[in-house]
Amino acid sequence: MKFTIRARLATAAMATILTTVPAYAEDLNVILFGMPYTYGLAELEDDFEAATGLTANIEVVGQDVFENRITLSFTGKTGDIDVVHTPVIQVQRWVEAGWLHPVTDGVNGMDTKDDILAGPLDAYLVKGDYWALPFFAETGMMSYRKDVLANAGYDHAPTTWAELLEVAKAVNSDDVAAFAMRAAPGQGFNMFVFPMIMRAYGGKFFADYPNDLTPAINSPETLEALNLYIDLINNYGPPGAGNFNFSEVAAAMQAGKIAMFVDGTSIVAQSLDPEKSQVLEHMAIAAVPEGPAGRSPAIAVHGLGIPADAPDPEVSFKFIEWATSEETLAKIALAQPFPDFTRASVAANPEVIAKYESINPDFLNLRVEMLNDAIGHYRPLLPQWPQIGAAVGEHINAAVNGLESPEEALAAAEAEMAELLAE
Amino acid sequence: MAQVSGVQPVLQRSYRLMLMPAVIAVLVFAVLPLMGMFWLSFTGFDLVKGWDTGLTLENFTRLADDRRFIGSVWVMLALSGFGVVAQVTAGTLIAVGLEKIIPRWRHVRGIFVVPFVVPHVAVALIWLSLFTPTLSPINAFFDLFGITVPAFLTTRWGAISAIVIADTWASFPFVMLLILAALQGISTDLDEAASIDGASKMQVFWRITLPLLKPALLMVALFRFIETIKHFPLIYVMTNGGPGRATQATNYYAFIQTFQNSKVSYGAAIAVFLFIFAAIISFWVARMNSRLSDA
Repeated sequence: MKFTIRARLATAAMATILTTVPAYAEDLNVILFGMPYTYGLAELEDDFEAATGLTANIEVVGQDVFENRITLSFTGKTGDIDVVHTPVIQVQRWVEAGWLHPVTDGVNGMDTKDDILAGPLDAYLVKGDYWALPFFAETGMMSYRKDVLANAGYDHAPTTWAELLEVAKAVNSDDVAAFAMRAAPGQGFNMFVFPMIMRAYGGKFFADYPNDLTPAINSPETLEALNLYIDLINNYGPPGAGNFNFSEVAAAMQAGKIAMFVDGTSIVAQSLDPEKSQVLEHMAIAAVPEGPAGRSPAIAVHGLGIPADAPDPEVSFKFIEWATSEETLAKIALAQPFPDFTRASVAANPEVIAKYESINPDFLNLRVEMLNDAIGHYRPLLPQWPQIGAAVGEHINAAVNGLESPEEALAAAEAEMAELLAE
Repeated sequence: MAQVSGVQPVLQRSYRLMLMPAVIAVLVFAVLPLMGMFWLSFTGFDLVKGWDTGLTLENFTRLADDRRFIGSVWVMLALSGFGVVAQVTAGTLIAVGLEKIIPRWRHVRGIFVVPFVVPHVAVALIWLSLFTPTLSPINAFFDLFGITVPAFLTTRWGAISAIVIADTWASFPFVMLLILAALQGISTDLDEAASIDGASKMQVFWRITLPLLKPALLMVALFRFIETIKHFPLIYVMTNGGPGRATQATNYYAFIQTFQNSKVSYGAAIAVFLFIFAAIISFWVARMNSRLSDA
């Protein structure tokens, strides 16, 4: 008797739970983290339904929530994600862990494969397979204030890092700091921008990537680059620059508080945003400065991939094909500050050209030039890179803020790289 | 199960049944994950490399040699120590002020609770902008007088202070509410008797109010201590653990090991350390508290 009462209670409880939890109503669950493209895509759910007859639930979350969410889903093999935001910087690690489903057949079967920019697409080629379709290819660029430079007698942007330091000395004032750059520690923060200086001075992460992965960051070349980076941030940057991330850099530029910065194209585009910039009429853009070893603009590629446990990879592929199509990319390029599209045809679209020309006539051409100069392994494509980049970034930041000397920081970074690779 | 005294035996069973959902919830949502965490900490689970389910003590022996871990414990102790002192002091002073000095202001008490309901990520964003000199109205104000406010987030102790200040702002209302409740439980007869005997307000506070508040202060400090060792959003948003590694507290380090370095079992071992640490502190405070109540 007792048992039946309990059983009945339990059944009632289960029934209540089951009726209040809605079943997944959509055909596809897409999880992305916030950036202009993903915000734009989330508004096009109806377009996807009109194009394919399928429905999608596009969820855009913060990057930290994203990491936790996908890690739980992938390790728990829950199969609840059909399409996942796949940054190139993670793809090696995810492939190694067996978290992704290859999309090689789908990509090779596309009529418009040749329209996709080759560099970003090939970044997803790991172990002979494609693992995602790129929607975003960001590169490095400089943004500066013509008026501030002109007042100091410079009629053009500095073309080398040494010249940039010279200009910084000439233009720095209490009201307008000469320079800013990301300095906050992180694989995607200071380690997205610092290698632009490091590689320009001939510094490198490894002895001979990818053949000889002996850590080689502790070199005179990298030390010279690090000293320049520290000098620029501490002596010619705004107060507090040692903790600046891209949002603080962009905000300082929009408020007219800095004269020059070097960052990714998406941040440079924000400095040219007519709605936000208080000094728009003075803004100009230029190439990433060169060093003794040439120019090395940053590159970051994001794409859409299919989790290994997605229930129907063919349906998932239909989504990523649509989401990275010429039509969708052009729509988002027009609706959002999104000049980082990955198809040649979008760059040739008159409306897109008109929009970005009105902001800055050189922007799209300069972007292509920088993309051509960028090397694919700007940040080494290794499964361990996310943790190596984070550890190195912490030492670089410690050196900027005086917690370690530049020599100590590079020695410690090299030792930790070796430890992480040996594990 | 023991009989609930003074309740008819027929009702006993329904009482127990009604307790069941709570018991099941605790088992499913607290005890099981905790056991899972303990088990994980004795295995070798790496998100990328996969499972090595053999039981091992390696994660714990590694902890003892891990300088980053030991450094993170010091950061945690600094954040928690200064944080608890600041929050308990601020919360208590405001509670005593509201109850004893300006009791007529009862209706404005709600305002003081506002920071407590702001989500921690939002708190972190607010204070990040206040501590970023180019964005901060504080810096802009002092600039008018030619005074340069130093940049907090680029020095070790500046960044630790910044997190303590943000956490104090967000958490003093919790202390204030509990201390207000405790104050209202103290009979005003004692204050009156002391005043009649000629004690000043300060003397009443130091000699009567504060000693009577001790058990409540201890408990609230314990709650805050346990909360502060779980610091995460403030660090993640305000400093990313920087400058260098100066604000990587132990809980943040567990996150780095688990999610960034994929070492789930090692992260679990750090979490086990935190659990045992919190348990020891709680046990110690509970004993002190019972001694106080016996005295």
